[in-house]
Amino acid sequence: MIGKRFLRQRIFIVPRLLLHLFSLALILLASSASAHVGDGLAGGFLGGFEHPLFGPDHVVAMVAVGLWGAFLGAPAIWLLPVVFPLVMAFGGALGILGVPVPGIETGIAVSAIVLGLMVALAARPPLWIAAVLVGAFAIFHGHAHGAELPPGADAVAYSLGFVVATGMLHLCGIAFGLLTRWPAGRIAVRAAGGAIALAGAVFLSRLI
Amino acid sequence: MNGCLRLLLILVAVSSANAAFAHVPIVGVGGVSGGLLHPYLVPAHAMSLLALGLFIGRQHEQGIALLAFATALIAGLVALTFAVGETLAGEVLLGNAAIVGILLAGAWIPPKPLTWIVAAVTGIAIALDSPPETTSIEEADLMLLGTGLGALSALGAVVGGAGYLTRPWQRLGVRIVGSWIAASAILVLALTLAR
Repeated sequence: MIGKRFLRQRIFIVPRLLLHLFSLALILLASSASAHVGDGLAGGFLGGFEHPLFGPDHVVAMVAVGLWGAFLGAPAIWLLPVVFPLVMAFGGALGILGVPVPGIETGIAVSAIVLGLMVALAARPPLWIAAVLVGAFAIFHGHAHGAELPPGADAVAYSLGFVVATGMLHLCGIAFGLLTRWPAGRIAVRAAGGAIALAGAVFLSRLI
Repeated sequence: MNGCLRLLLILVAVSSANAAFAHVPIVGVGGVSGGLLHPYLVPAHAMSLLALGLFIGRQHEQGIALLAFATALIAGLVALTFAVGETLAGEVLLGNAAIVGILLAGAWIPPKPLTWIVAAVTGIAIALDSPPETTSIEEADLMLLGTGLGALSALGAVVGGAGYLTRPWQRLGVRIVGSWIAASAILVLALTLAR
């Protein structure tokens, strides 16, 4: 009887000791909390991906590019999303190299107004004019974001995330713009263009 | 009880030990596995291989381009075993990725020799940009072997997959991916120049 009780006590004591030791082990193994998650491969990509998404002026202009591309139809529907990242990268390179471009923030706000109005008014200029207009605005957007490229993050992953997010915003605009196939959809898309132009006017008013 | 304590102390000691960092994307994975993962997990390498694979996959004659890539890759890896110092391979790789990305975005098919040169430059740049940072020569050789296998398998997979991208929207997708790759490479090149 005594032997059994002793054995039972031993059985309880060992797990308790193990528990204490395991807790000690966990405390020793715990690493410091990482408050800044922008480092590394995944952090770099995510940092770049979320960067354009948190700039409302950038978001509305990118969606407007997609909307306008969808409104203009082929080949603009694919040409604008292909041209934009390339010209934006050129603008980004200017920003990174410290080449000054005047009126960056104004240009970004104006891009939302002009592109929004193009959609709202259902403007159909020749393709080259549309490409030049979108390309010119891409330089402003690229310059603004290129200058903000963080030195600590994985540069390639960050830039990939940034470019992919911008492309996704274009695709969102294109997807919504495909509603133009239906009469009610055309009204919705043009209304969205008007809303973007209005948002651009608000951004511009804040700068003045 | 002593056995339990000893086991736990060993467990704590082993678990808290930091793995040797040998220029691998996943810390602690070395040897052939570490080298094999290298081209997949280093963004510049993965991006360049994706661009080159899509570029070669779009063309009818792929054999010579793949051979040029493999030869240049092996030559670069062999050069690394002779302890080649720091090179501009990273910058060359990005510049090459930008060119291939622009060619993809424009859906341009250049003369065949240009494709072979682009493939060879990518191969040697990936190899020279993968120096294993380890003190063991045997470990370094295993990692280089893994890097070679990883780069070849990645390129082969993309070239093989690109052959199936024949529908108009798929070709359009390739052009958009090409423009994204070129844009990213241009941004990073500018950042490198600025530094």
